[in-house]
This record gives sequence, C-alpha cells and structure tokens, in this order.
Amino acid sequence: MSRTLSSTAKRSYWLGRYLERAENTARIVSVNANLLIDLPVRLPLGWQPLVDITGADDLFADIYEDPSETHVVHFLLSDLRNPGSLFNSLSSAKENARTLRGILSREVFEYVNELQLYAKQTLSEPLSRTRRIEGLSRVMERIRQIDGFLSGNMLHDANWNFLRIGNFIERADMLTRIVDVRSSDLFAEQAELEPFQDIQWRSILRSLSAMQSYNVTHQEPMSDAAVLGFLFKHQDLPRSYVRCLNQMRNSLKSLPRHEKPLRSVNRMRRNIASEDVSELHGTTLHEFIDRCQHEIAQLHDTIDKTYFDFKPRRPRRGTS
Amino acid sequence: MQRGTMSIDWNNYDASNAWDELITAKGRARPGARNLCQMLARLSDQELKERKAAAELAIRSMGITFTVYTGEESGSIDREWPFDIVPRLLRKQEWDKISAGLKQRVNALNRFIDDVYHDQNALNDEVVPRAYIESSKEFRPQCVGVNPPHNVWAHVCGSDLVRDIDGRVYVLEDNLRVPSGVSYMLENREVMKRTFPELFENTVIFPVDDYADQLAAMLRSLSPRKLKTPQIVVLTPGIYNAAYFEHAYLAQAMAAELVQGTDLIVGRDDFVYMRTIEGLVRVDVIYRRIDDLFLDSEVFNPDSMLGVPGLMRAWRAGHVALANAPGCGVADDKVIYTYVPDIIRYYTGEEPLLPNVPSYRCVEKSQRDYVLDNLDKMVVKPANESGGYGMLIGPHASKQERDKFARQIRANPRNYMAQPMLILSTAPTLIDDNVEPRHLDLRPFILSGRDTYVTTGGLTRVAMRKGSTVVNSSQGGGSKDTWVVEPG
Repeated sequence: MSRTLSSTAKRSYWLGRYLERAENTARIVSVNANLLIDLPVRLPLGWQPLVDITGADDLFADIYEDPSETHVVHFLLSDLRNPGSLFNSLSSAKENARTLRGILSREVFEYVNELQLYAKQTLSEPLSRTRRIEGLSRVMERIRQIDGFLSGNMLHDANWNFLRIGNFIERADMLTRIVDVRSSDLFAEQAELEPFQDIQWRSILRSLSAMQSYNVTHQEPMSDAAVLGFLFKHQDLPRSYVRCLNQMRNSLKSLPRHEKPLRSVNRMRRNIASEDVSELHGTTLHEFIDRCQHEIAQLHDTIDKTYFDFKPRRPRRGTS
Repeated sequence: MQRGTMSIDWNNYDASNAWDELITAKGRARPGARNLCQMLARLSDQELKERKAAAELAIRSMGITFTVYTGEESGSIDREWPFDIVPRLLRKQEWDKISAGLKQRVNALNRFIDDVYHDQNALNDEVVPRAYIESSKEFRPQCVGVNPPHNVWAHVCGSDLVRDIDGRVYVLEDNLRVPSGVSYMLENREVMKRTFPELFENTVIFPVDDYADQLAAMLRSLSPRKLKTPQIVVLTPGIYNAAYFEHAYLAQAMAAELVQGTDLIVGRDDFVYMRTIEGLVRVDVIYRRIDDLFLDSEVFNPDSMLGVPGLMRAWRAGHVALANAPGCGVADDKVIYTYVPDIIRYYTGEEPLLPNVPSYRCVEKSQRDYVLDNLDKMVVKPANESGGYGMLIGPHASKQERDKFARQIRANPRNYMAQPMLILSTAPTLIDDNVEPRHLDLRPFILSGRDTYVTTGGLTRVAMRKGSTVVNSSQGGGSKDTWVVEPG
C-alpha cells in the first residue's frame, strides 16, 4: 500500500513552485528588453518595475546603487544574494528534485540538474541583450520540456497533484504581481505615456505568454477592461487567474483531507466570479489585487497546515 | 564487423601468487568456470570493449551510484558504481557448506546478544570476560531486559568472508549494525544479465533476486500487529549518506516507505506514527539505517536530528520493531570477534563450521607482546571501526606508522586485535582490456527473523589496484557479480 509522506508532498509542491517561478522570472526579464525598445528613451520606465514585481525592492536597494539594466538583470538572474533569482529558483528546484528521485522518474532530476548547470554557465556573466534573450529562451524551453515530461510520464498520483498545485499557485501569484506593478504605470495618467498604453498592455500579455491568445479571442481595439477581463477571468487561458484556481480545485479534489483548502479555493473562485474587473481602475484595481494576493497567501498556508506541517493531534491508541 | 585480435589469452594469466577463484595454479579453468573462460577468450578486443561499455551504460541508465562526501563546500557527489564484467564463481556444493556455517554463526551471535542483555550466562560462565562487554562502546545499558520478537537482535548481518592461499574460507568480520552493499549485489546481477545474456543460457547460475522479498518477509515477521501488510519503513539519514542509493533501492523493492527521522513521530501513547498527507499512520517495523547513537535524542546523542525522539520508549514497550535492534553491535566489536568460535560452541554445542581468521587480543600480555614483535607481518584493527578505517596493514606500513601504532596499542590495548596478513584470493579482472588477478572478498547477507535466510553468494568486492587488498568502494574498490554455479 503506497502512502504519500508529508515531506514528499511538500517537496513536490515546491518543485512545482520553483520551476514555475524560474520560468516566470526568465520571461519577465526577456520581455522587458522588448518593451524598452518600443518605448521612447525619455520615458521613466526602465528596469526597476521588474524588481518591484518580484517584491524584492528593499533587498535590491540594499545591494545596488541604481536600477540599471546590468544591475537589475544580474539581480534577477544570477545574484545568489537574491533568494528569488532565477539561479536560486533553479537550485532549489534541483534540491527538491534530488530528494524526489525515488518518486519522480530518474530523468526529471537529470533534466533539472542539466538546466541548473546550463543557467549557471550561460547566465552568470553580463551578456548582450541578444545573447541573454537567447539564453533565457533556452531556459524557458527546457522548463516546458520538464513540464511536458512530467505530465506525459509521471504517475498522476498525489505527488503529481501537489506539483501542479505548486505550479498554479505560483502562476496566479505572478499574474497578480505583474498586473499590479505594470498597471500602476499605466494608470499613472501621465499624458505623455498615453500613446504607448497599447505597447504596455502588450508587454503585460507577453509577460504572461498570452499575446497570441488575446489576438485570437479579441477583435476590438485593446482596452484596460478587455485585457483585465482576459487575464483574470478567461476560462481557457492557461495563465488566467480563474484558470489557475480551477486547476488547483481539480488537483485538490483528488487529494485526501481536502475540505479546508478546497473551501479556500472555492471562496476565491466565487470572489473572482462576482468581481467586475472591467470596472477596476487605479486604486480599486490595486485594492482588488491586494485581496487576491492575500487570498493566495492564505491558500498556501492552509495547504501547508493541512498536508505538510500539520500539528499532530494526540494520536489515539491503535489508529491507522 | 571485422573481428580484431583475440584479447584474453589465459596462457598469460598468472594465478600462482594466490588462490584464484576461476583458474587453478596450473592455469586451468576451475570446474564450473570453463564455459565462462572459453567465452571470454573468444571475444575480440573490440567485442570486449563493447561489452564493457554496455555494462557501464547499464550502470548509468539504471542509476547505480554510491555517494562520496567531498567536503564542506561541494557537499557530496554520486559516483557510478565500479563494476568489473568478469564474474566471481563459487560452486554450489561449497556454498551450501558456507551458508550452513553462516547460519550457525549468526544464530549463536543472536543468542549471545540476547544473553548479554538478559541473564549474562556466557559472562557468568566466563566464556567471554565480563570486562570486555562492560567496556565495549557498543554495549547499551538501555537495552537490558528488552525482548525483541523471536529473541533476534541482528536481523540483517553482512559477514565478510576471505579465502587464504590454501583455499580455506574464513570469516574476517561480522557486520551486525547497519551493513550495506546488498543492493549492489542485486544490481550487479542485473548488469551482468544485460551484458552477457548468452552466459545465463549456458550455465546453471542460481538466482539472487529473491532478497527483497525475503527481507520484507523477515521484517513482517517482526511486526507487533498481526496484519497481512504491516506498515514497514526504511529509516535513512538522508540523501547525503553514502548508502542512500541502497536505502531508496530497498524501500522501493519492498514497497516500503523511505523515511527520514522528521517523517516519524512518537505519540504520547508510545506508538510510532509517520506523517502522511492523510494524517498520522501507525508504523509497525522500522528497518533503520542509522547508527544506534543517532536513533533517539531522548536517550542517546541529544544533538541528533536524524532519529526520532521517543523511539526507544516505543521499542522497549514492544510497540514497534527495530531492525537491527539497538545494542546488537556489542557482538561485532572486533575483540569480541576473537571469542565467536567459543560463543558458537557455548550456545549450540557444535564445532564452528566456518573458521575465524586466527586473531590475537592485544589486551592479553603474551598475545600483545607477540603482536608488537611481529607488527610488520600483522594486520591490526581497532575494536569498533568499519569501512577499513583506523587499521594498520603491517607489511605495507612505514616504520613510523608501525611505531605510532605500537604506542597506541600499549596505551589502549582493549581497543585492538591483530591478525596475520592473509593472502586474499584473486579473480581475473579486466584491466586495460586484459585480465589480471586482483584480490577480493565476499560479503553474504544473513537475514534472521522467524526464519534464517542466506543470500545466494553475496557481494564480491575487488581491489582494483595491483597487489592491494583494500576493497572498500570509498577507497577505490570495485565489485563483481557473484555466481553460485552447478558445474555441468
């Protein structure tokens, strides 16, 4: 009879989170360069927003003088002092995969290991934009390969479900962060930025790998309301907020003792369903995102307390 | 494909410097080895290289590794398991005798351990001096009076056997604590089957692959709950342990859970539970691969993070079985080893079927004087080390090393025993595309629960350096598949 240890489930969950985080980090860095190319040089956008997205602005300010491209890129990709850097995410993914070797197929550890080594070799030195973007594409490609390998070859058991939950909770979190930081620029109402709003929305969509899907589903001109509705509420968009919630719900349903976490996810689903995101703007959008992030953090907490670090109730004699 | 030159020429193989397991001193194949030797001689240089590469590929793709700790900075690395493609052979007839000897020995050792922690008859009758037990680092007062199932303490024993130049097989040591290596015995056979499938069709080779089933059955026989499938776990110190591969391998093969100390918890009811996503699940049997002193920080090393606080309470209450039982190392102290023949006679009334290597106790003056006078001919071992550490190999040591050891022996004679240097047997080993004799030993595994079981053969470890007798994989040793054969 096979049981799933809490510690194993926890590692699967974090492997899912770290792989997703690495992919997201690679994508936002890679997209930003394109955004800047399209915008007039005098606009004050630059690289700082990327640091803000990852929520590491204080740490960054402690280490670096200014948010130049070199500094920000180094901080986000290879700085060992930044726990959320691409390199650290991959190293953490590797450590989790290493301990899961008996559970995942052996190749998974090898792929993650090779990916981490690749990132170490290619991304530690400052690179030209072209070479950097190429390197980041490789990283993203390899992560998608690992995803594909897992879904095609791994037993779709409890560990698989924890890995998926890790993927989607991280993805939902990243979505809210990107929209939050990027929209604060958009809604800053700087007259000179107006003509470039489309470009910025496009960059948000690209950061979420959703540009093409948007074009397929929307004929009308790009608008705040349409993009927000798409990113938060489109049922079929792989990175939409509601899709992340639905996927987590599905995974939780096949796990034991899911009452509490399932209740959290369902509450989040109801909240997003009743929210008219097209009406959100500036402060109201920011407040809405705050609520989402708070709920995501709570969901993580519930999962952690239910499955990983639960306080053992005093065991009764002979329970099994 | 063009056949290259024949690469193995048995006429050039010199088997005269030791007892060789495949070839007689006159250069003929031993009974049972003829097929193998002929087949190897027929292989061209190129084919031999291909077979070797095939074995290496099998080891890589099967993920057979062992872990070497390389220091603070780099942590530890997994190395591929060193494997020699020429197997080592034992005749069934001889193996049956060895196997009976091992059963007799382990049975007597288990009765001795049980006696030490209960009535101490063997000490009262002065079969073994009481002082040795009381001064043994492996004696655990916490185990006194405990009654493990079937009165068995050493459930898994890995005895090291060697053959001297006269062809006689001796027990070199008994590893009763957490012996390792059995997974490599099993994997060696798998690799061999992939590398030389045709040999298995033409020779009667007894299978080894029932070990995991036998281990699981033995562990089940210890369960305090009489269930069809009691909950069995393998307790590992974790991924950085040298034998982690084996822990994971055995857990998987037995469909048991591989756990670390933090996965387990002892409740206030003194039962052991593991944390799972379904909640706490009661554990019946723990195959622990952690040393005694790290098992339970409430009783032993208070700083240990590897074990489970309260485990000894649960074990003493009979709520969980521990294999091997804590405290069983008292019988694999290398000075106690010198008494094992007497221990066998005392408990079984029989003569030992397998001899000890003649040994000298440094604590006894006349024997100590002999050892000190003949250090250049002796192997000196500390009482409680394993893995070949802390030994003096007299004939290979420098004068300074011998003098240093002489001082250590005088300072703490209880801690040392000495044996004459045996000339370990050899087997042909592939070295740079030719075969040369290399020294080896054999570690069979003996399981004791309700019944006793001995592996068919065991793990053959081979010293890859010419003339060397150090077979430990951490120190450059390799391994071979071990065939117990019925000569046709």
